[in-house]
This record gives sequence, structure tokens and C-alpha cells, in this order.
Amino acid sequence: MKGLNLKILSVGFLISILVAISAFPTSDGVPSGITDPTTSSVEANGCYCHNEDTTASVNIELTLPENFTAGGAYMLTLNISGGPNDDVRGENYGGFFIKATHGVLEPLENDTSVQKPFGETHLTHSTEGNDYREWNFSWTAPEKDDVIVTFTTYGNTVNGADGNANDYWNSGSFDLMGVNAVAVSIDGHDELTTPQKMIYAFTIIAVTLGVVVIGNRMVTNEQSFEDVLKDYWKSIYPWLTTTDHKYIGILYICTGFLWFFVAGILGLMIRWQLFEPRLDGEFLTYEEYNSTFTMHGTTMIFMAAMPIIFGFANYLVPLQIGARDLAFPRLNALSYWLLPTGGLVVYMGYFTGGAGDVGWTGYTPYASGESATVPGTDFWVAGQIMLGASSTLTAINFLTTILRMRAPGVTLMRMPLFTWSIFVTVFLLLLSIPVFTVALILLMADRTFGTLYFNVEAGADPILWQHLFWYFGHPEVYIVILPAFGVLSEIISTFSRRPIFGYTSMVYAMATIGIISFVVYGHHMFTSGADPLFRFIVMLTTMLVAVPTGIKIFNWLATMTGGSVILKTPMVFALGTIITFTIGGITGIILASIPLDIAFHDTYFVVAHFHYVLVGGTLFSFLGGVYYWFPKMTGKMMDETIGLIHFAFSFIFFNAAFYPMHNVGIAGMPRRYATYDASLTELNQFISVAAFIFGFAQLIFVYNVIYSYKNGKKAGDNPWNGWSLEWATTSPPPHNSFKEIPTLKLAEEVEKQ
Amino acid sequence: MSLINDLIFFDNPSIWHDFGGTAEGYLGITWQMMIWSVLVGLLVFIWMGYNIIAFKHNEGDPEHKDALKTGVFPHERGNTTIELSWTVAPLILVIWLTYISLAPLDYMWDIPDEEDTDLVVEVTAVQWQWIFTLPDDYVIPGDFTSCGKFNEDGVRQQNERITYDCLEVPHGGIIRFNINAEDVLHAFYIVEIGVKQDAVPGLETLAWIDTGDIKPGLYNIYCTEFCGDEHSMMLAEVYITED
Repeated sequence: MKGLNLKILSVGFLISILVAISAFPTSDGVPSGITDPTTSSVEANGCYCHNEDTTASVNIELTLPENFTAGGAYMLTLNISGGPNDDVRGENYGGFFIKATHGVLEPLENDTSVQKPFGETHLTHSTEGNDYREWNFSWTAPEKDDVIVTFTTYGNTVNGADGNANDYWNSGSFDLMGVNAVAVSIDGHDELTTPQKMIYAFTIIAVTLGVVVIGNRMVTNEQSFEDVLKDYWKSIYPWLTTTDHKYIGILYICTGFLWFFVAGILGLMIRWQLFEPRLDGEFLTYEEYNSTFTMHGTTMIFMAAMPIIFGFANYLVPLQIGARDLAFPRLNALSYWLLPTGGLVVYMGYFTGGAGDVGWTGYTPYASGESATVPGTDFWVAGQIMLGASSTLTAINFLTTILRMRAPGVTLMRMPLFTWSIFVTVFLLLLSIPVFTVALILLMADRTFGTLYFNVEAGADPILWQHLFWYFGHPEVYIVILPAFGVLSEIISTFSRRPIFGYTSMVYAMATIGIISFVVYGHHMFTSGADPLFRFIVMLTTMLVAVPTGIKIFNWLATMTGGSVILKTPMVFALGTIITFTIGGITGIILASIPLDIAFHDTYFVVAHFHYVLVGGTLFSFLGGVYYWFPKMTGKMMDETIGLIHFAFSFIFFNAAFYPMHNVGIAGMPRRYATYDASLTELNQFISVAAFIFGFAQLIFVYNVIYSYKNGKKAGDNPWNGWSLEWATTSPPPHNSFKEIPTLKLAEEVEKQ
Repeated sequence: MSLINDLIFFDNPSIWHDFGGTAEGYLGITWQMMIWSVLVGLLVFIWMGYNIIAFKHNEGDPEHKDALKTGVFPHERGNTTIELSWTVAPLILVIWLTYISLAPLDYMWDIPDEEDTDLVVEVTAVQWQWIFTLPDDYVIPGDFTSCGKFNEDGVRQQNERITYDCLEVPHGGIIRFNINAEDVLHAFYIVEIGVKQDAVPGLETLAWIDTGDIKPGLYNIYCTEFCGDEHSMMLAEVYITED
């Protein structure tokens, strides 16, 4: 009986999939992206209005120079001859069409027989030009001479009579090499793109390191290769199969920092490209540049910031509420393993001719037009769907855990603020990520199955994607900043040796930020042509975000007042975060004012703003978090001196790199530009140099982690004298986190005793 | 180029000189934003500096009576009056900043009807070109040659009705832009004038400038909505020329 049900279920499932597929609003064929409406008819059908088929005996000649130099101007002659109408002469007896893959075609001065239709790049005959079978026109070569230009031509010989009977046409294709062009045979190897070179370089370095390490073990321990691998396997195996929240938490954090490193390299590539105003292909081609900033943004948000946050949440939330593990440990493992897998899928694009190049926002119709973007964009979409699934599962897991598994005494209003921040965050995740996943599925359907959800010509709303994306995208930025608030609250309270000032108002402030985050997303669309009333309302709501955020900053400062401030590395990072986050918050208010946003929108001012919030807010506070909770996770203290050096370099060069971006933005440099006005060179060079030092300064942190893991001083259970329950267990915590489930006491009760 | 100077003296958009009726100088929106940013920033930084110096932990300091203890939820610390004050004060501040944003917003969004303008320019954005079309009944002044082609003698000819990546408009008139896109999203951004409006396929968007407020000369047009490979080369020029 059970088997029968399963069969019926699976058949029904298949039928519903078939129905769903057939119900997709598809066009006739595969979407061809955005086509040029006028040229497409000739390019698709030839001179079909004259006759349906080509005539081989019609001969098209295009007189070309031997090769071309960059920027040179050439006169070309197109001649048609042959065919049954060869000797027919008179009015209306010829026509042509020509298009070039590079360079600019123009009619000659004062020549009325050739015309360039409005807004087009091709040339064709004018009414007057109908009377000839030979036309002259000029062609200006592109600014690079290492390409092969292909001219596509159509010519027809007409007999002058009405209708298409006895008209004959043919098409031809002509190649012209630039002086530095290299003819590539079809089975030849394409030259590697810069990102591919980087990937190969890092792979080679990694493989070499692996060989050295394994070889070293074999020689010093006199083990066979298999034995060494078996040893490694023994230590790796528990990590691969674990469902323990502490192991998964550390995996999350390490994966997050690994992707952070990759995306950091991409960020430095962006800065090197912008070191001076570069031409297409001088360092990166413009297409590679677009891939670079797309992957930088996507990786940093989805594969670096969020995993680091959920790593800490995984490790700390069960400890802070006194639970042994998350509610669904296996689901938790699934969430984690979707992350490296989804990340690799996103990066697959690099091996298919360029990674996604639509920006991390992926605005349609550019992103939905297949021909306009590189094939890697499909991987970018697919990988992000997996990452979205991972986040949704995580959200359910944490909601259940926090609501159902708190230890005795841990009521909602007695949870540590970090747990509270995760609690608000997972609500936001659960409500926003599915919207993004749906939008991505629609985008995938458009790109892969030929649906028309985002096809403007078929009547789709041109800004539908922006609504869907930012409905998710704005809560997303609070998803990455709220946990940072949680970390700051913990660190500042602990290192001021006093309770947080205004615990209740901190909780309400976070909840308020969470709620407001769903009604402000329109501020990303102030110039988009959306309804003015909508834009006006979101300006009001966006301004309101400043109120709860201000409460939090003032409460932190009030916590320090009257306390006993200890300046250890975590506290220094937390205070640095308050400075940079305050600057980022202030520019947020400036951008919320529509008249100012219209001037600053999509310029480097915005880039400066969100880096101040995401790096200066999220990253800095979580670096502080690493210094703070590293003793709990490993049982070893991190080195203070190296930590302070790391902070000094990070803080100084972060500001040096990102503060001038405000000025670059005010000067009018748009974001996502691969090159810029030469007058901004000096400022951009300053930014690039500072960014490189900031990037390399993070290696100090890597060194500190490894050094302290090996040589760190032993940390007790509670090295910083924190109050929350994670400090009540051992460092590192035992297998089931607590020897026995603790009870959270109240200060008032303890004093009475 | 001073980093701080740029921010304080940000008076970039030329049309904002009068700002549609808002006050210039210290009461203008850029100055107000700057003043409040600096004040709020200083409040936070100075308070934090004071905390670090005045409440620094020294060896042997006695523990405060509500100091944190492991596994014990600490005393609630707070002061309703103080907390309310720093809820209400930012609220009043952002209401004020929103209020002073309204006049310039009203000015920018109050797009004049086509009859009330001196010139309506049809702007068409395609990958990767700006196409400007002047209305048929507009008489192009004879000395408008900035966007014209060269003749055989190398002398610029009068502008044509349709120009590519180049536009010449008269000084001292209301110019309205009807903006369209043919393929993907673009954004029409006159850098020095501070006008920015997305060009959306299938939707006509509007922008306008009063060239009476703007010095004659050459201004740059950038595309500021990511539109593909040549996005950063999708540039144009606009000349404001005195008749």
C-alpha cells in the first residue's frame, strides 16, 4: 500500500512539473537577449523582401586594405556583380547592407547614395543609392589593432520591376586583420584571461604547498604516502561528518574567511585596475572588470560576511542560551555544506568563459538578456539559489533553537544581546531570502528556459527585478550589521566591567531596525523612475532608521561611562568599529535625503558609504569577535601585541582607502567604472595604495591566529570575566557543550543569598 | 585637493545655487547636512575619548558593585529620561533634515510641462551611446556648431537635429529631457549639474534643467547605471551656449 502511494505521488509530481513547464510564458525560441530591431530582420532573414533564398552566382566584392592600424580611417568599396540580372541597368537595380564587428562605418561626406539609419551602426543604400551596384563609404578602425574585424554584407541585384520576382541576392563575410592581430585556428588554445591566470597561479601554489607539507611528513616521520594521507584523513574525517554546532561553527568561520581572502584578492584587482585610468585590456578587459566587481560583491556578502556571522551564531547561540546543540543538527550540516558547494558553483563561471558580470545586484533586463552577458552568469544565478537555500534552512534552525531550547532562567528578555541580534536576524532572513530565491529562479527561467518574466519587449515591468531584489537586499544589509551590533554589545559590556546600559531599549532598538528594514528598500531606487510617492515615503522611513541606530551607539557609550574600561584587542576593535560605523551611518543619512542622493547615487560616495558600514561595521566587529571568543573556541589566548598591530594597520589604512572615496564620488566618478577621468588619478592612486596595505595587513591576522593556536597562553574558562553562559563552560567546551545544563541566575537573587 | 574641504564646500550641482527657494549658505541642505554630521560625529568621538581617558581601568581598581559575574544576568542599568532624550533628539534632527530636503525635492521633481519649456530634448540611451533628438519645430541657431560635423575645409557645420554623444542647448532657458532606453537600464547623469535619472526601457523618465542658473560651457554626461562592457565609456558632452 505504501509503495503504491509513493508511485502515485511521484507520477503526480512528474505531471505537475510537466504542466508547470508547459505553462511557462515562453517566446518562440531561445531568448536572444536584446536585439537591434532594425538590423535583426536583415541579419536574420537576409534580403527576404526581394527573394527568400540566396543566389550563389551573385558575387559580392568588398575592397579592403591589407590590414589596419588602431584608429585609422579607410575608404571601402562594395561591389555586386553576377547573377541573372548582371546586365540589367536602369533605375532601382541594386541595394546593399553592411555591418562591422568593430570600428565605425560612416557614409562619405556629401554622398547621398549611402545612409546610416538613426541610432544604428550599419550602413545601407538610400533611395538614391538604389540606382547603383557599387558604393563607397568610410570605416574608422577601433582603438585596438589586435583584433580581427568581420564585415557582414548583403547585396542584391534587382531588375527594376515591382515585386520581388527576378530579384537575386547573396551575402558575404569578410575578415580584416589588425596589424597586431593573430589569426586563431579553431582548435587552438585561447589565451588565458587575467582571472584565470590568477586562479591557476593560486592552484599551483596550493598544490606545491601540499606536496611540500606531505613530502616533509613522509621524510621526517619516515611514513609512506598512504600512511601520511591516512593520518590526514583521520583528522579531516570528523570535520566532514560532524553535526556538532561547535565544529560546524568553526567550519563556517574558516570558510567565510577563506572566501573573504578570495574576494579580497578580487577587490585588490579592482584597485589595481583603477590605479590609473586604463584602456580596455591594459590590465583587465572591461568584461573581466565587470566579472571582478560582480564576484567581489557577491562573494563578500553571501560567502564571506554571512558565513562568518553564522559561524559565530552556530558556535555561540547554543552556548549562550544553555543548549547542547541546535534544534536540527543534521539540517545545520546541510546548511553548511550548501555554502562551499554553492560558492564553487558561483565560481564555475571562471572556467566557462568569464564569471557572472551583471553586478551583485544583477539588474534586469541586462541580466536576463542572454547575449549581453557571459555564460558564467548562469552559474552565478544557480550558485546563489543554493546559498539562499542554505540561509533559509539556517534561519528555521535558529528560530526553533532560540524559541524552544533555552536553559532554565534564560527568558527571552534575559538572553545575551548577541543571541538577540541573531534572533532578529533570522527573522529577517526567513522573510527576505525566499523572495530573492524566487527572483533568482525567475531569472534562471528567463535565461535558460526562454520565459519572459523580465523581457521588457514582451511587456514585463522594467523595474520588477529592482523591487524584488531590494525587498530582499535591504533587509540583507541589516542581516549583516545586526549581529555586529550584538558582538559590540557583548565586547563593550565585558571590557567596561559593567552591565550594558539600557538592555531593554537595546533589544527594542534591534527589533525596530528589523521591522523598519522591510519598508525602506525603495531608497535604492530614488532615480529609477518608480512612483514618486513611493520614493517620498521611503525617504521618510529611511531617515527613521537613524533613531534606533543612534540609541544603540549612545547606549554603548553610556555603558563605558562609569565603567572600568580595559583596552584589550577585542575592545579596541569594538571602539574602532563605533568610529567607522558612525561615519558610515552619517553618510547613510546624507544618502537618505533624495536631493542629495540624486547627486550621489551610483557614485563612489555610495561605495564609500557601504564599505564604511560593511567593512568598518561588520568586518571590524567580527575581527574583534575573533579576538574575544578565540580563547573559548581553542582554549588559547590570542597574542595581544600582534593583535594591536593588526588593529592599527587595519584601522589606519581602511580609513585611508575608503575615506577619499567620498571625495571621488563627489567629484562625479560613477561606481562600476573600469576607467575614469584623468583628473582623479592622484586620489585613486592614493586609495589603491592604501587598499593594498589594508589587504596585506590582514595577513598579520592570519599569522596571529596560527601563532596563537600553537603558542598561545592557556585561557581559563572565563578569561575576560564575561557574564553569559558560554563563559560558564570549559574552553574549549566539552563534546555536549555543558557537563550539565546550567541555570542562569539573577543578580538580585545572588545578592540576597 | 583637501579631503575635508571637498566635503564642506560641496556645492557641486550648479542648479542648486538658488535651490528652488531654499536658503543658500548655512541654511542650505548641503551645509546643514555637513554641520549636523560634524556635530554628531564629534559628540560620539569626544564622548568615546572622554570615556577611555576618564574611566580607564587601573590595576587594583575595586570592582563596581554591579560588576559582571559568570552565569548571572546582571542588574538592569538605565535611565528612562536619558534614553528618551536620545531617542527624541535624533528623531527631531531627522525630521528637520527631511524637512529641508523637501524644497529642493519639490524643485527637482516639479518637471515643467512641455508647453512651458524652451526646448524638449528626446534622450535615447542604447548600448553604448547617447542619442539626442531636437523637436522638428525648433530652429537650431546658426552658431550652434559644437556638435556639428566637419566639412572638407575642416570647419564645423551647424548641428543637426539628431546628434550622437553630444548636445548643445541655449543658455537661459528651461530644458526638459524626455529619457528613453532601447535595450537595458542606463542612467542619464550630467556630472557638474547634478541631474541624474535612470533611462528605463519601456518607460519614459523625465529630467530638467534651468540653464539660466548655469554658466555657459562644457559639461559631461556619464552613464551611471551598469549597462555592460562599455559602461564606463558611455560618455557624452553637453554644451550650454549663449545665443
